[in-house]
Amino acid sequence: MKFEARLFMYLTPFFLLVGAVYAWLTEGEAVGTGALLLTGALVGMIGFYLALLARRIDARPEDDPYAEVEQGAGDQGVYSPWSWWPLVLASAAAVCFAALAIGWWLFFIGAAVGVIGLVGWVFEFSRGQHAH
Amino acid sequence: MATQVQTVPGLVTPRRSLGSAVVRWITSTDHKTIGYMYLISSFVFFCIAGVMALVIRAELFTPGIQVVQSNEQYNQLFTMHGTIMLLLFATPLFAGFANVIMPLQIGAPDVAFPRLNMLAYWFYLFGGLIAVSGFFTPQGAASFGWFAYAPLSSSTYSPGLGGDLWVFGLALGGFGTILGAVNFITTILTMRAPGMTMFRMPIFTWNILVTSILVLMAFPPLAAALLALGADRRLGAQVFNPENGGAILWQHLFWFFGHPEVYIIALPFFGIVSEIFPVFSRKPVFGYKGLVYATIAIAALSVTVWAHHMYATGAVLLPFFALMTMLIAVPTGVKFFNWIGTMWRGKLTFETPMLWSIGFLVTFLFGGLTGIILASPPLDFHVTDTYFVVAHFHYVVFGTVVFAMFAGFYFWWPKFTGRMLDETLGKVHFWMLFFGFHGTFLIQHWLGVQGMPRRYPDYMPEDDFTWMNQVSTVGSMLLAISTLPFLYNVYKTWRTAPQVAVDDPWGYGNSLEWATSCPPPRHNFTSLPRIRSERPAFDLHHPEVAAMDHVEPDSDGIFDWEADRRGQVSLAAERLATGDAEPEQSSATIVDDGRRPGPQDDIDQTDEQEDDRR
Repeated sequence: MKFEARLFMYLTPFFLLVGAVYAWLTEGEAVGTGALLLTGALVGMIGFYLALLARRIDARPEDDPYAEVEQGAGDQGVYSPWSWWPLVLASAAAVCFAALAIGWWLFFIGAAVGVIGLVGWVFEFSRGQHAH
Repeated sequence: MATQVQTVPGLVTPRRSLGSAVVRWITSTDHKTIGYMYLISSFVFFCIAGVMALVIRAELFTPGIQVVQSNEQYNQLFTMHGTIMLLLFATPLFAGFANVIMPLQIGAPDVAFPRLNMLAYWFYLFGGLIAVSGFFTPQGAASFGWFAYAPLSSSTYSPGLGGDLWVFGLALGGFGTILGAVNFITTILTMRAPGMTMFRMPIFTWNILVTSILVLMAFPPLAAALLALGADRRLGAQVFNPENGGAILWQHLFWFFGHPEVYIIALPFFGIVSEIFPVFSRKPVFGYKGLVYATIAIAALSVTVWAHHMYATGAVLLPFFALMTMLIAVPTGVKFFNWIGTMWRGKLTFETPMLWSIGFLVTFLFGGLTGIILASPPLDFHVTDTYFVVAHFHYVVFGTVVFAMFAGFYFWWPKFTGRMLDETLGKVHFWMLFFGFHGTFLIQHWLGVQGMPRRYPDYMPEDDFTWMNQVSTVGSMLLAISTLPFLYNVYKTWRTAPQVAVDDPWGYGNSLEWATSCPPPRHNFTSLPRIRSERPAFDLHHPEVAAMDHVEPDSDGIFDWEADRRGQVSLAAERLATGDAEPEQSSATIVDDGRRPGPQDDIDQTDEQEDDRR
């Protein structure tokens, strides 16, 4: 997990440095300076989170060059076999975005479908509290 | 190799009704199916935008207005051609290849968020349809150029529903791209097979990771700019009002997205050819880590060069952006060095995927060289907004995206469909497209140097542009016709080609997708080989070569050039000792019991439930 964190962290000083040089040379051109520094903050934030995570979790078999495949055996996670909800939710989003161009009346229809889609998505695999 | 039969519920049945096939596809959460949907949709958009380009070229065949009805219609055509090619063809094509191939290459059963994956696809498709639907409105589609400069894109200068639909459709599609990138990054960071360290990932997977990081940096500024433009157009906001400096603000925001976007659509396709060169050179990729670091360097630098699209505004810092732009040539040169080094003294064969990859090398080199010319402000001022720029970016973008796309199609077609594409038709396709492309765009360099501006529907006979435009138009027709052998190839092999019976029909495949059946089962692998290098499938199928390979580098060093191959020798020795050294196939034949599993009986979950009951 260490290199994954470094991949993001090492980009941070690059963007901060380029941002600082750019700000100095242009005497504070706002858009580029802001965008570069925020990009530095973005990769720094992800890298910092990954570094914290790397300290917290055990060594993973995918980071061990001598790992055997069976070390990855066990629970591979839950994969939804199929789902209608992405289609419902995306249709609602499409109606809402088209409504921004066409007219607000359409937005409310999209929002209503969106609420249904969101609830359906979240509760698709829910079997109630404490009942796993 | 002993073959066992394994029954898995819910796999694809060979015959089913059209309705059930449609429902299966639109409700799918399988990364491969979603990937095919991306590939098919983006190819359809490619054909639509290609036809628009043909109309543009036909209009320019002779001076005067003959083909289009009005200048406005011509503006709509080049605007939508650019929009569709960049955002509805090339970008989702990256998502398509990434979806199908990347989880296979890292030995994962699926992507990290299967339902989010499907949501991202629908966002892209619906967003794209909304953006294109402007053609069906009374005033027509957006006509302010694909980079929508303010104040031309304001409701004052470009009124009409088409422009609004363009803005919000692209915003929706952009969110789809961001969600897809998050999914890819999470999958690569958390779902690799045991032994698949970061420096054993195939170059293609590396490029998908770096591209996805670049998406996270580039697409949010685009979403912000588009929504602000939408607020200007629909709600009367004044964000891009030129009185407040809005014209330059838009250009900064747009190109802060726009330049990384060029690399978002280039890097994955660099990855595809990096997969193909080693296979048809019978050598491991040369300078594995150099390629990885070059990719990261290109991505980082690409965020710092956006204003080289804005030299002509006179409002940007020329030396800074000229220097940064020329710096990008260095890691790109490293990549060329590595690709040529991979082929150097290899046992080369020129199957269709290799042909396309070499076509990519040649074409992209031309685009890279004119890129260095354009990076220099004094040279750029002379040719800015002329056909020289048009030729430059078509060499760059067509050279990477289209050449590498077809390379990837021919290379992975057996993995996608279980059938090989026809080699002869593939070669006809390649040479027609190669000469068609260079016939269309090489001449445009001179056209631009002589002063023909881009985006003009007409020119005068006295300009002396006519013969060059005619050469270009004839080339573009050949380019378009070259798609027909490909489509016939797809149809013919679908009907008549035999099913591929081996895991690796090319014989020298490197990465893990060649260690599972063609096409792979629902969750990709029935068994995974031991991973001891960046080419586990090659080690599996050719242990005698792996046994000779004694590379044991110090993989901790940052400048260490080779991939991590530790442990490969012992693996090979073991394989040779047990006499198991023949090319191996995946051990199970998958038989479908025809039943579709409900959400209640997902295989993994069922096991878990049983455990709980105990």
